[in-house]
Order: sequence, then C-alpha cells, then structure tokens
Amino acid sequence: MKAVKQIFFTASLVLGLLQSAQAILPIEKLDSVKGAKAYLVQTKALPIVDIEVSIDAGSRYDPIAKSGLSSMAAELMSFGVKSSQGVLGEAQIADEIADLGANIGVSVSGERATMRIRSLSRKDLRDRAVLLASLMLSSPTYDEKILEREKQRSITGLLEAQTKPEFVLERRFNKAVYGNYPLANSPSVKSIDAVTVGDLKKFHKQFYRGDRMIVSIVGDVTSAEASEIAQALLKGVPESGDAIPSLPKFERSPVESLADREINIPFDSQQAHIAMGMTAITRENSDYFPLIVGNYVLGGGGFVSRLMSEVREQRGLAYSVFSYFAPGKDAGIFQAGLQTKNDQATLALEVMSTTMAKFIENGATPTELAAAKDNLINGFPLRIDNNRKLLDNVSSIAWNGLPLDTLDVWTSKVQAVTLEQIKTAFQKYLSMDRMKIVVVGGQNK
Amino acid sequence: MRSKFLIIFLSFLLCCQVVLAADTNEQVDTHEYRLSNGIKLIVREDHRAPTVAHMVWYRAGSMDETNGRTGAAHVLEHMMFKGTDKVKAGEFSRLVAAVGGRENAFTSRDYTAYFQQVEKSKLGDVMKLEADRMSNLNFDDAEFSKEIQVIMEERRLRTEDNPSSLLNESLMATAYMSSPYRHPVIGWMNDLVNMKAVDARNWYESWYTPNNATVIISGDVDPLQTLQMVEKYYSGATVHALPVRKPQVEPEQKGIKQVQVKAPADSAQLVMAWKAPTLKPDMIDDPEPYALELLSAVLDGYDNARLNRVLVKQERVVNDINVGYDMISRGPELFMISANMAKGKTVSQAQESIRKALNDVIQNGVLESELKRIKVRILSEQIYKRDSIFGQAMEIGTIEMAGFSWRDIDPILERMQLITPAQVQAAAKKYLVDGGLTIATLDPQARKSADKGNQ
Repeated sequence: MKAVKQIFFTASLVLGLLQSAQAILPIEKLDSVKGAKAYLVQTKALPIVDIEVSIDAGSRYDPIAKSGLSSMAAELMSFGVKSSQGVLGEAQIADEIADLGANIGVSVSGERATMRIRSLSRKDLRDRAVLLASLMLSSPTYDEKILEREKQRSITGLLEAQTKPEFVLERRFNKAVYGNYPLANSPSVKSIDAVTVGDLKKFHKQFYRGDRMIVSIVGDVTSAEASEIAQALLKGVPESGDAIPSLPKFERSPVESLADREINIPFDSQQAHIAMGMTAITRENSDYFPLIVGNYVLGGGGFVSRLMSEVREQRGLAYSVFSYFAPGKDAGIFQAGLQTKNDQATLALEVMSTTMAKFIENGATPTELAAAKDNLINGFPLRIDNNRKLLDNVSSIAWNGLPLDTLDVWTSKVQAVTLEQIKTAFQKYLSMDRMKIVVVGGQNK
Repeated sequence: MRSKFLIIFLSFLLCCQVVLAADTNEQVDTHEYRLSNGIKLIVREDHRAPTVAHMVWYRAGSMDETNGRTGAAHVLEHMMFKGTDKVKAGEFSRLVAAVGGRENAFTSRDYTAYFQQVEKSKLGDVMKLEADRMSNLNFDDAEFSKEIQVIMEERRLRTEDNPSSLLNESLMATAYMSSPYRHPVIGWMNDLVNMKAVDARNWYESWYTPNNATVIISGDVDPLQTLQMVEKYYSGATVHALPVRKPQVEPEQKGIKQVQVKAPADSAQLVMAWKAPTLKPDMIDDPEPYALELLSAVLDGYDNARLNRVLVKQERVVNDINVGYDMISRGPELFMISANMAKGKTVSQAQESIRKALNDVIQNGVLESELKRIKVRILSEQIYKRDSIFGQAMEIGTIEMAGFSWRDIDPILERMQLITPAQVQAAAKKYLVDGGLTIATLDPQARKSADKGNQ
C-alpha cells in the first residue's frame, strides 16, 4: 500500500515539473562550424560563460608502445602556440589567462579530450580567452625541451602512483575488463619515454579537427554571440583530415573460471583494495534507465544502497563501498569496489559478491524501487541547478548523440522503469561468472 | 548581487567599465536572525534554480577535544546518522533520500557541519530531521561498535596508507607543542581503538546545543517564510551552557624544528611551514594576513607563479609544488610550502631553491603587475563562486565559524585589494624566518608489491 501511494505521489510531482518548465533544459543547436556541432544553453543570472570543446582524441587512440601520447598532446597545447604576432610561450599564455581572470583547462579521458574555458562574459575578456583557446586547439608549438621536461614529470608521477594501492588496482582492473579494447592499456615509463615531438604533431594533426569536435556553451551570451564564439574557437582548425583506422571491437567479458577471472596482487598496505566488474552498456542503450535505477538500489544510492547496508552498516567492514555503470559512447563498464583491512578482505569480497549475485538473480523489491524513484525524481532539480552542471549535461548529450529533450523526459523515463525491466536488464548485461575481480593487498586467502 | 565593490574594483583593474546585468539588483540578498534559544540563522537568497542547501554548523571541532579522546568530534559526526528517539538508525539517510536529497557531513579542526541539498519544496522535510538530531540523538552501543570499525577503515584509507597524510600529521604534531591543532581531525589510531560510546555521547551533550549552532540556508527561498520554518522546527531545541574553552595559545617557537617520516613512496617529499598570523575579527584592518594571502598567490596562485616557474619549469628541482595559507581560522596558522622531488633531486636541493625564491621576495619585493594579476583572479573567482548554491553556504559557514560575520566577506575582499608590494615584502621578511620554521621530510621506502606494472 505504501509503495502505491509513493508512486502516485511522485507521478504527480513529475507532471508538476513538466508543466512549470516548458523545457527543463532549453538547448539551442547552433550552426555547425567546420563540421563541429555546437550547442548553447543561455543563463543570464551571472556574468559568466562556460565553454567546452570535446575532441574525439581520447587515450583509446594511443598506440600501445606510446601509451600516454594523447594526454601529452593535449597538455602541451597550453605550453606554447603560434599566433599572428609570433610564438607565445608557456609563461605568456599562463600570464594572459591569469590577467583575464579566466580558467582554461585541458584533460583527457579514455574516449575524449576536453578543453574547458570559464570566463567573465564581458565581450573583450571572453574574446581574448577564446582567442587563446583557439590558438591552443589549432597551433601548438610542441617544443622539444618542454616535451622532455613534461615526460620526466609524467614518469616521476607514474612511479609515485605505482606505490599507491588504488592506482595499482585501477590499472589492473582496466586491463582485465577492457580486454582487447585499447582502454585496457595504460602508460608505462617506457611508453611515455617513447613519445617524440613528431608523434605529438602527427597526433594533433590527425585528431584535432572540426569533424571530431563538439562545442558546448552555457552562460550569459546570446545565440549570435555563442555562434561567434564557436567560430572563433575553431578558426584555425582544419575541417577534416585523413581517415582514422577503426578501433578493435569492444567485446563482452567472457564466462571464465574464478581462477581465470580473479587477480590477487600482494601489496604491503594496511588495507586491501578490491574491484569487481565487467563490460556493460553504452549511454544510448535502451536499457540505460532500468540499469541506473537498479544500480541506485544495489550500490549507487549514497548511504542507502544494499552494498552500503551489507558491507558498512551491518558489518562495519569498509568506509567506502559502491557500484556504478560507466556508460560511454562506444564502450561501457560496470564496476563495484571497496577497501578494507587486509585480514577482512576475503570476508568483504564474499559479502560484496553475494549481495551482487542476489540482486542480479532477484532484482529489487517494490519498496526499493519506489525509494529509488523517489530519490532520482525528487532530486532531479539538483542535477541542473548551476552552469557547471548544465554544461556537464549538455556536453554529455552532445557527445553521446542523445536527443536534445533528454533531460525533459528524464524523470518520466525513471518513473516508467518496472521491477521486471530491472531484473531482465541486470541479467542481460551482468553475470557473476563473467565478473573480473582484482584484489590489491596482503593476506587475502 | 551582494555588493558593488567587486564590480568597481574589477573595472579599475581591467581598465574599463564592467557592465554586469545582475548588479543592477541592489536588494540585500542575505539575512540574519537569532532565535530565542540562541540559534543563529543566515539565509542567502539565490533564485536561479528551484533548489536549496540546508546546513547546520556546530562550533566544535577537533581543536575542542582532549588528550586520549582525539577523533571524538569526527566519531560523533558519524554517530549522528545512527538514530534519535523517534528516527531509528539509518532512517535519517533513507528519509533524506526519499525526498531526493543529497546529504553528508564533515568535521574540521574548527567545526562540524551537516548538510542536505533538496528541491525547495522539500526543505521542511529535511529541516525537521536535522532539528530532531540536534537534541534527541539516541544511538545504542551496538551501532557505536560497528561504526568505530568503519572510522578506523577511514583512517587506514586516508592516513595509514597515504604517505602525504602521514607526513602532514607529523608536521602538525611537530610544529605545535601545546595547541590542539597538533592532533589529526580523524584522531590517533590508538585513541580510536580505545574510544567508547560514552565518549561520543559526552561530546554530543557538551557541544550540540542551539547556542553553539548556526543554520545556513541558501537557494530559492523567501527569508521570512524560512525564518518561520526554522522557528517551527528548531525553537524546541533546549539550551545548556557550553564547556569553558581554554585558549591553549601556542607558545612562541624558538628555532627550527625538523621531523622525518619513513613511508612507502617513490620520491622524497618536503614540507616547510612557518608560524603565521591569522586575521582577527576585531582587527580586519591588519594588513599582514592579507599580505601573506597575496604572497601565497604570488608564489603559487597561477600556472606561471614564481615557484612553479622557477622550481618546476626552469630548475626542474621539484615535480610539483604547493603553497598553503588561510588567514581565516579559529586556531593558529602555518604558511606552508610542500613539494615532491623531481627525479634525482634531493630535499636539500629543493630547500635551497625555495629559500632562494623567498629571499628574492624578501630582498627585492614583488612586482605591482604580479599583485594586480592576483587581485583580478581573486575577484573573478569570487564571481565564479556564486555559480554554486552550496558553495555560497559553505563560504558563509566557514567565515562565521572563525568568529567573523558573513558581513565581513566583502570588506575583507576590499581590504585585500588595497595591499601594496611593500606590505607583501614586509610580511615575508617578518614571518618567513627560521625561528618559526618547521621542516618535515618524507624519506621514501620501497613498497613491497608483486605488481611490476604493465610494461
């Protein structure tokens, strides 16, 4: 009875939201620039603008012997550019960004490189920030000496990271779960050392071009101004280039014996770090909603998930325990994890496995489903209540090729999820005899 | 928008007129009230989105703990989720989740704070719960026994297996001999092992009282309606006297202190920390804290700031370097420089380079252009901060807990803009001296691991 009441209650809330806001996130599609799609959400309350350029130039394109190349190519864009007034060095670029009160940051994930610009929206200031960003995108100098320095820094950072259990865990887990897909690779001392200026120039020419870019803008600018920004950003960027060889197919984690799926890495830390997971779905998959609603119940819902209850609340085994789906555009995984003192590792792994197996087999209860919907639907406004969050959403919609009304229908899609759909979807994509398990720590078994 | 001065200064610094649409709205957007039981309420209106952040700050942190019971403030923070007379263990989080809330809590040296973020129509639901646990916490011993295990796991995760945290812990314990800042917020492991449920209960009974609490609400709310709601839920909380807070002023340091930590790592690490003044609520015209704040940015405030430029990029003696100084604090403060060594470089080489860079400031001062650049950044960051509704409540809470008023935020920024290169130089000369210096070094030990990478 309680569940029925709650469902009714949340349904009326959804209607209320949809009525009050005609479009929750009014995304304007701007004219494409050099083959790059461009999107805008106008927000006028603050005199700021946030701009993101997503480039299909993630680490999955790294040649295996030069793993780390994509990151180096992106990072060095801010360490020297050619402009119409000659070369701007790293110091001049950093000073100019600081003088404008702007932020320009570049990062690289498995799928994409991302440049983010935050500026005051006043035209003269934002124009200068955009000009600088455009030079970084189109004309990095890739100086030999700076590359040598940054390679050394990167190697030093890697050697340090290798002494940390969480890093070792993540690297080994990625290797196991991604299999033949290039996201299985991660940089080594040797592969970073192998990167040359020629590699950087070639990579940049190959991947940093209009037909591999998407521009998302949120903030205090008009449509016309946003179009000018997109054009200025991509001014020096070529429209297209040579065909890029396609990547190996992303293959589902196979059924394997436990011995073949489980990796134990002895490590003299006080805690064992444990990861468990397998390949799952991409973002546009029609089972996305049953899986995220189901995962809220299993290990996504903050302090109230089943994993949190079994591992932390009932047994005090770990501070942090979680599960999530990480759906990308072309590849996606499911991952669960925890950290516990070494002599509890076997017990904690067992509790986690049992909890997951039970959930895959039986799905959620009606009460759990109602609670998940209550949280996700009632909490929806918190997903879009500032410019940063809006930019994250626009960028995700654009990158994954989702419909522009994705956020307008988001709560109704959550509301429509049934118990049967959750069970079917979890059984379709997850299976305990396919789960890779990595344990970094001592005294396990 | 709160004040005109940001805009005026930005205009001045950027040499042209800044026109900001939001600034034409001159209405006061922050409101302060006091309930009869002593609760201070601060409401920051921000109507951009239909959400609200609700926070309760208690002015009791690890600096209020006593020997043998370090970690008590943080332990209680965990126990606050473990049930009241009416709400059973774990139910608090379930009820917040049901209204779509995001929630958590955090403990620092100076305070303990709890928060929920919700769609605005749900404010009453979470406020009712938060007000309930202000007076009616009632957890049983079994819940405590499990949760203290969780907290020890948290300490293993954050500190025991993290060499930088171990180094920082030793640094604080060395720099301070009397101030309670010498203890880690999470507590020493042995104190956690010996912590009893009664210690947590005593902490709650001592410090969790309305006259020690500040409620901060930011977001899409009407101030008077919010006041009525706060009165409805919080006015039942009963007042009792707070324990006497002893000043525990740190005696003056009389020479360099050094400490070494051996822990698993690849590169050595160095921290140099000088005793430094904080801004006092009754002396906000004191230029020294501002000067040190600006000095930290001259050294490390942007990519081409002095230490990064010289030590990381030119001399390549360190792999990365950070400067920390926060003039707003209840307790004493350190001006801290931390570095990870570059491959093949030693901590003494890094120390020499750091000292050279600091001597350059002491001898030759800083450039007007450097200060101007940093002042622009401080003001633009202040505008960017307003993008976050939660961030605004955080800013107000932090300054209130240090004994200031939210009304001081703008005057403080204003005074920061008036600091001169000569004042920065004078502060460096006065405080970055060996008499108040503590040096901590991490001596890296090989970690035994079977993982040889994936080369």
